Amino acid sequence: MAVAPTRAEALSLFRSLLRTARQFSDYNIREYTRRRAADAFRENRALGDTAAAAAAFADGKKQLEVAKRQAVVYSLYAPKAKSIMEMKLQ
Amino acid sequence: DIVKKQLVLPEGTDVTGASKFTDLGADSLDTVEIVMGLEEAFKISVDESSAQSIATVEDAAELIDKIVSNAK
Repeated sequence: MAVAPTRAEALSLFRSLLRTARQFSDYNIREYTRRRAADAFRENRALGDTAAAAAAFADGKKQLEVAKRQAVVYSLYAPKAKSIMEMKLQ
Repeated sequence: DIVKKQLVLPEGTDVTGASKFTDLGADSLDTVEIVMGLEEAFKISVDESSAQSIATVEDAAELIDKIVSNAK
């Protein structure tokens, strides 16, 4: 039977997702990934049921792997132009 | 300022070194995001165990001082 993650494990996964999100050079993808991670964790923070918590945690880990792979692939094809959101005002 | 922005605190809220994140309405997820924000602002990397032990603004400031001084 699956074991529910500890609080520390859940926070660690959350931090890993935020770190991976920062690797995206594209502003839109980076912000979406970060927001999505935060929203998903907040949705699930009240999960008390062991099986449900374990399932949510496992899904989070899978998403982390996806994000890591995408960060690498995306960096190979990143456009030169920066998003206007990132340009410094002159 | 980073803490205020993260928690979307009402203007004029008093945030002192001794303020506990939990007293400001932060939960554990908020604290993680605050620490990540501080990392970016100071160009540092906080290891897992240190990050988990941060509970007040002062804790965060002390940790940052330690890391920054080690980097020099």
